[in-house]
This record gives sequence, C-alpha cells and structure tokens, in this order.
Amino acid sequence: MIQTIAIFIAAYRELSARRLFWLAISITLLIVGLFACLGINESGVTFLAWTLESPFFNTTTTSPETFYKQLFVRLGIEWWLGLISTLLALVTTCGIVPDLVAPGSIDLLLAKPIPRTRLFLTKYATGLLFAALQMLLFSTASFVVIGLRGGAWEPSLFIAVPIVTFFYSLLFSVCALVGVITRSSVASLILTLLAWAVIFTLNFAETIVNGGRIANQMEGQMIEAALANSQDPPDEETREELTTDLAEVKAHEPGWKTAHFWLYSVKSCLPKTTDTLALLDRWLIDSASMPARDASSTESVQEGFGSRRVRGTSIGTAVREQQRSQSIWWVLGTSALFEAVVLALATLIFARRDY
Amino acid sequence: MTLPTPAHGGCDEFAVDLTDVRKTYGRSIRALQGVTLQVRAGEIFGLLGPNGAGKSTLVKIMMTIVRPDSAHGRVLNRAVGSPEALARIGYLPEHHRFPTYLTGRQVVEFSGAMSNVDRPTRKKRASELLDRVGMGAWKDRPLGVYSKGMRQRTGLAAALVNNPQLVVLDEPTDGVDPVGRREIRDLLLGFRDEGRTVLLNSHLLSEIETVCTRVAIMVQGRMVAQGTIDELTASSRRYEIIVEGSPPEWCGAGATIQSIPPGQLLAAGITQESTRLVFLGLDAQGAQPILDRLRSESRTIVAAQTVRESLEDLFMRAVTDPNTGLIYRPGSAT
Repeated sequence: MIQTIAIFIAAYRELSARRLFWLAISITLLIVGLFACLGINESGVTFLAWTLESPFFNTTTTSPETFYKQLFVRLGIEWWLGLISTLLALVTTCGIVPDLVAPGSIDLLLAKPIPRTRLFLTKYATGLLFAALQMLLFSTASFVVIGLRGGAWEPSLFIAVPIVTFFYSLLFSVCALVGVITRSSVASLILTLLAWAVIFTLNFAETIVNGGRIANQMEGQMIEAALANSQDPPDEETREELTTDLAEVKAHEPGWKTAHFWLYSVKSCLPKTTDTLALLDRWLIDSASMPARDASSTESVQEGFGSRRVRGTSIGTAVREQQRSQSIWWVLGTSALFEAVVLALATLIFARRDY
Repeated sequence: MTLPTPAHGGCDEFAVDLTDVRKTYGRSIRALQGVTLQVRAGEIFGLLGPNGAGKSTLVKIMMTIVRPDSAHGRVLNRAVGSPEALARIGYLPEHHRFPTYLTGRQVVEFSGAMSNVDRPTRKKRASELLDRVGMGAWKDRPLGVYSKGMRQRTGLAAALVNNPQLVVLDEPTDGVDPVGRREIRDLLLGFRDEGRTVLLNSHLLSEIETVCTRVAIMVQGRMVAQGTIDELTASSRRYEIIVEGSPPEWCGAGATIQSIPPGQLLAAGITQESTRLVFLGLDAQGAQPILDRLRSESRTIVAAQTVRESLEDLFMRAVTDPNTGLIYRPGSAT
C-alpha cells in the first residue's frame, strides 16, 4: 500500500510539474466559465450584458433549465468531454509509460521490492487519475452552473466522471501498449490517435451500412405491404413496378447483411468509444430528463439514405433506436475485454523485457 | 545508523554468492558466460572490467532489471531477485534519471516508500542522509538546479534510505569533481564501518584500489580474476634495491646468496650513478641477507622496497590477449 500511494503521489507531482496539466485545467475552467456567462431571457440568448435576440431561443420557447442542459449535452458531452478534453488528457499523459521505461528511470523502480506487473498497472492507473480529475472538475463546475443559473440540481451529471474516464481508459490502454513497445511519447500519441480514428471510422461505417440495411429492409416491408393491401389494391402497372422493386430490394438484401455482419463483427472486437459516450447521453437523458441529441452518425444516415417510400428521418430514428437498445454490457463488456487484452499484452511485454 | 539484525538463518559469510550466471541477448550476444561472484559480508568489493565485459548486466540481474538465462545462488541469503532481498539492498544505477521536478528530499522519500519504509522513518532518514552526503542545504530545492555531483550525492542518500545491508553502486563518482570523489570515498568507507557490504562497479581503478577489500575482473562475460588485491598481485611481487655504483660482481648468472635461489634476481638496471636490483617474489625479510651482503661490501644503499604490480597493471594484464598482445574487444559473440 505504501508503494501504491507513493506512485500516485509521484504521478500527481509529475502531472502538476507539466505546464500542459495546468493548461488543460485552465481551459476546463474557462469552458465552464463561458458556459456560466451564457444565459437566456425573454428576448433571446445572453452573454454577460449582451443579448442576441432570437425568436427560437428565448424563455418563452425554452426554459433556462432546458437551455443549460442542452448546452451541457450538446457542447459539454459531445465536444468537450468526447473530443477536446480527451485529446488534452492524451497529450498530457502520453509520456507516462515511455518515461517509466526510460533508461535510468526504470532501473530505480525495478530494483525495488515491487512486482513488475503491479508497478505497470499502478502506473497505468495514475494515467487515468488525470482524466478522472479533469472530468470531476468539469462535472462539478457544470453541476454548480446548471444549479445556479438553470435552477436544476442534477447529481446524475457525475455519471460523466466514470463513463468518460472509462472511455479515456480505452484509448490510454493503446497509448500504454505503444509506449511500452516504442518507448516514445510522440509515437504513443500519434498511434493512439490513429487507432481512435480507425475505431471512429469503423463505427461510422457500421452505422452507415446498418442504415442501408435497415432502409432496404423497410423498403421491402413497405412494398410487400402495398402489394398485400386488399383495401386499396395497386393497379396492374403499379403492381408490376412494385414487384420489380421488391425483386431488386431482395437482391440487395444479402449484400447489406453480409457487409453489416462483417463490420459489426469487427466492431464487436474493438472498443466502442462512440457507443460508450452515447451511454452517457442515454443515462443522462433518462435520469436527468435531459434533451435527447441526435448522434452525428445517425444524422448522416438521415441524409444519405431513404427513398420515395421510406423517409430518411424514419431510417435515422430506427438506427438510433437500435443503437439505444444495445445492451450496456455489450458496449462496456466488449470494450473492457478489448482494454483487458491490450493491457495484458502491454503488461506482459513490460514484465518480460530486459532494461 | 545501525544495521538491523538479519531476520533469517543460515550462513552470512557472503552477502552475494552467485554461480553460473548466464545471459544471452538475442541469439548471439553472450553477455555472461557462467559467471561466479562472491562478495563477503561487510566488505567493499570492486567489480572491474572493460566496457562490454558484462559488469552492468551482472549487477542488473542481481537487481531484477535484467532477466538471466540462469542464475544460481543467493543474495543476502535469499533467492536472487526476491522481494525480501531487494528490500535490504540500496542501489544507485549508472546514468540514473531522477525526476528533475522533485526536490532532493522528495527523491529520497520516494525511494524509501518504494522500499516499503514507513512515512515517519523515511522522513527522518531523508533529512539525516541528505545532511550526511552534504546536501542538507539543498534538500528542498528541485533536482533541476542540481549539478551532476549533487545528483550523485542525492542518489547515494536515496540508496541508503531503506538502511540496506548491501549497497550496490554503479559508477558512483561519475561526473563528480575530485573533492566530491574524495567525499564519496569516505562515505563508502563509512558504510563499511557500519557493517554494510558495498559492491562497487567503477572504471576508476585508483578509486577501487583505495577503498576495496576485494576485487573481481570481468572480461567478455567471464570472471577472469577474483580476490584481494594482494592475492591477485602476489605473483608479481618483487623487491627492489638501488645501490650506488656498478652492479655487484655476484650479480652474474648463476650467482647465489645464501637462501636466494638462482634466477630470482630478475634484472639489474644500470644507470651512470646507480644500479637497480630487482628480486622476483622476494619480501623484506627475504631481502635482508642481500642487504647484509651489500653493506659488507660497503655499498651505499639508496633505496630498498617491496614493489608489486598496481591494480592498473593487473587490469591491463587481465584484459590483454596473451597470444596477440591486443586488448580484448567488448562483449562476446557466439
């Protein structure tokens, strides 16, 4: 226990010695400060003493509570927690493992009576400490702002801390693996960002293909319903057209299914970064009566698919509903499994290497 | 500071007793080829060898930094690399890199915490040790402003914070000025006087010669010599007498003087005014008949002394291939 506490204190000292740490904390506070400066009145949206008049955003259309919750969900979660703060956290902590295994530094630690596995995993946990601290700071400040300015005290905002820390841990496990292999902070950061981009792209592709599959399925169901409509039967020409369309839809079905099966299978093996953040959305909306937001990927589906029979919005809704109905254990469990495998590999390399 | 009584039974003659230590890097670089090392408890032991001889690998295997292919024996009467042994070892690696944002006190306290030393004890020892190594006035300043020598001293304090029975130091005077080297040397002697065992890995032969009780020389992954400096240089011991004038007549081939067997007179160097007589393997007592003879001949004896090979001579002899006269190349490949 003495050793674990010492490693955590050393990690805090290491982080606080980095200017980037204080920069990230300052930016976090600045964001929440700007958040607090925004307001809404009967004329429109306010920023300190200025008012931007708007017929769509004012207290007659949107309550202050909803306004602040919208801001938290749309900007706080989607942009700040999901992207910028995670990037800042990665940039700040990407050197933790390379610094650990640096010549002259690792010798001092391995010569101590602490198993290598414990040393590595404790050091990994200290990397998560920074992300957790940053999330805690942001959530606390947002909690106070929404409470004071919006009049709603929502403790469920703090769900963001474990969820975003978990989301960050998925990326940091990759960072740790690359760090232990390459011993380079820059390589760790670049390859982690690359991995994140690949995961994001794959998730995006799966959503698009799933949208296509669902659109095709809905199209088929609608044609079949039209053909089977006994109350208002289609005329011969329409029936012929419908039959041709149905045959075409049926012909595309195996292709969509196969493409989606493979993308979904690959996605199942990778961490669900987007879905993990979407969980936050789901829980906050359920538990804190937050306004729902459309995932950017499903917005693309709305625009990219649809026919004269099936509306793009209904496809988007169907995809979103399917995503929201995903088991939490599938999202967190498979992501945690990926993290466990990556960490086990990193730990194995760390434990078996000569320094 | 006093050392704790060992909490284990068994023979404490050797602090380090290793046999058949082997390590191959990759498939072809045989860094250690069955090395045996014995360091007696309470002594300062010097580990010597040219670059690439395997000294650091051997030390790193003891400290679990490098995993051996095979290593038999014990360190502080425990299995090599056991946590119990590591808790009683203080280690200062070569080219250590303590975080520069930590103060000297924080470095020493962190080192103590990693050795499971409780908080009050490590705080107390940190102050005491930093004072002892001459860093008392700097202990609350970050390492970033320290000189190389100051970092070495702080590292020494960090290596001692767990009150170790065995102190392993890899080039402890690297980058330290002559005054600092002298002070570190005195510290090492102090460690020995406290009953600690010191394993010193250094390139500075004069330093080793001054403080070490026993030394070992490694070449190409093998231990080529191990013992006290006296033992290792015994074969080169000689007695030299310088007399005024030309060589005595009895210096001719086959001449004998009482108990001195023929051939023991190694050489007779003649200058304009004096003659140097060198007697191989002779000590002061054995030289008395010769001195008597010289006095009886009314020779003026300018100097008479026992001379032995220096550690540097011994080292150079050990690292030189007797067949080619060339220095062995670093490392050893299969």
